[in-house]
Amino acid sequence: MPLRSAPLPRMAGHLSFMRAQTKAIGDVRPGDLAVLGVPFEDTSAPHAGQSLAPRAFRETSVYFGWHANPQFSHPVDIDARQDISTEGLHERLCDLGDIAPGSEDAIHASLEAATSQISRNDACAIILGGSDRMSETVQSALPNCQTAQLGGTPDDARDFHVAPLPNGRGTPCNMDTAAQRATFSRWRDPSRPLFVRFDLSVFETPLSALCDQPRLGGCDLETVMQWLELLGQQEVSAIMLTGLNPNRPGMGVVKVGQRLMVTALLAFIYARLGFGIENPGRQTSKEYVLT
Amino acid sequence: MTAAITTFHPPLAQPGYRLFDGPLRDVTDAHADQIGVVGMPSDWTHSSRLGTRFGPEALRRATSLLQSLRPQGASFDPDTSLHTVPATDWLIDCGDAEITAQDVDATTEAIAAMTEMLTVAGAIPLALGGDHYNSFPACLGYSRGLAKRAPNARFGYIQIDGHLDFSDRLGAWGSHNHATNARRISELPNTDVSNMVWIGITGWVDGGDLVLIEEQGGRVFSAGDVQKLGAAEVMRQALAHAMQGCHELYLSIDIDAMDAGYLPGTGSIVHSGITPRQYYDLLDGLAEAPLGGLDIVEVSPPLDPSQRTEFLSAEMLFRVLRRFRTRPVTGPVTEQ
Repeated sequence: MPLRSAPLPRMAGHLSFMRAQTKAIGDVRPGDLAVLGVPFEDTSAPHAGQSLAPRAFRETSVYFGWHANPQFSHPVDIDARQDISTEGLHERLCDLGDIAPGSEDAIHASLEAATSQISRNDACAIILGGSDRMSETVQSALPNCQTAQLGGTPDDARDFHVAPLPNGRGTPCNMDTAAQRATFSRWRDPSRPLFVRFDLSVFETPLSALCDQPRLGGCDLETVMQWLELLGQQEVSAIMLTGLNPNRPGMGVVKVGQRLMVTALLAFIYARLGFGIENPGRQTSKEYVLT
Repeated sequence: MTAAITTFHPPLAQPGYRLFDGPLRDVTDAHADQIGVVGMPSDWTHSSRLGTRFGPEALRRATSLLQSLRPQGASFDPDTSLHTVPATDWLIDCGDAEITAQDVDATTEAIAAMTEMLTVAGAIPLALGGDHYNSFPACLGYSRGLAKRAPNARFGYIQIDGHLDFSDRLGAWGSHNHATNARRISELPNTDVSNMVWIGITGWVDGGDLVLIEEQGGRVFSAGDVQKLGAAEVMRQALAHAMQGCHELYLSIDIDAMDAGYLPGTGSIVHSGITPRQYYDLLDGLAEAPLGGLDIVEVSPPLDPSQRTEFLSAEMLFRVLRRFRTRPVTGPVTEQ
């Protein structure tokens, strides 16, 4: 029974990502999207507060779980004029909770074990960071994986980078669909696991007020959503959200960064669930059009 | 010492802030074609993040500061090259309505009584929220006043908003809250859903509400429509649709239609992609519209430590009230 079926006010009730059902990690099934929080603070970060990001993501995500509240008839994406299916969300999105606090070594070990177990179950981990230092741990849990990175500082030239920091070479942030999809297709090796790093710094600074790494340029929301939709059509083993500090000095009441990232993440989630994709065996959004 | 005395300036005649630094007057002092300001410092009908009860004061403060930067005869409206004039005759600030927290009927009637009196006098009520529920009592009073002043007159309705606010009920808040205001307005006797237009809607909406609106002839322009068609064209079409068979327009400005990256100080943020320039272009399209009443809602100063929300919102009022607060240039501009 999904928690969100109760007609609760948004701020009431048990907090889970998009009001999804909670599960133990052992119950994750193939095809699930398993949300996992890593409230880990990088003590060398310029501001304290990264560890509060997982909770901030969950809090803002309830707005999007709220659309499945039975007092509403059915949610519609107003721009696309398409119904949003909630059936698949109920069945396949689940929240596993957070990695327990502890020593840094213990946190790394727990995250590696959890990511590995989710991957072995043929599910996709949606990891709510936290510090991007944890991304190395996720990579180590996915042997021989490829990494696609949105924003953030590049670590490895073999990764696929979208709008990396710093943007000194003037990398265009607008998505040239044909050219960049072709580049991505050439880069992607389907025989290897895919890990997506989604850092808040991929957005242009005016939209991401809470990023610890402000930048010139950056992508708009639509472009990031296009990328995440494309990535969501792949068999992604894990996606990790990083770069949000919901507690920047004096900005604790501003909820912009988390809403921006979760809004974009929906494109990935819907693509992973098969909504809007002409793929036999998967439900398309057309099947849900009621209007 | 003598020099100090001769340079002394008297204090303001009235303490505190009024919208556009205009005069504080009672609603009974209003006359035709004047803007009559009513504060609605109420946010208990909002379902999530509060703080809009501080909105009226913030709007008064911000418009007064911006007005002081545009002294009479010394400044142009940069887009039209019109003079800015002080708010001495075209606007009166009637103070705040009496808000009774947790008593929706008392609050509704207190607000409606003020906007009704202004409307009967031929003035244009401008209500300052407050959460968006308060738009309903503001419009309710306008509707009642219009029925008395011009019994056969009908009004069109435009709502710039990130959300439809057309639910019949909302969870624990029932039928009167910030998600039902447009629905309640649609039930007023001198308007019709077919004359109601929404602009800037983004993200997910309730499909049943959307069907209900469009089956009854209402029109919804999404934030994406603003991007594709352009703000000016959207407002041109919206105005034409809303005014079919109508004599006046009621405008509800919910600031949250603007992308939260620019404007975070509001209770229900959305990432619409609508920029300040696009929002202002929308409002510029109403500069000559037959406004009968309007409100601006959801300014929540506690949610934006940078204060840019209240100044962006103040500029919205400068835009939509352009024809009141500016005059054509008739001679050389001189400092005063």
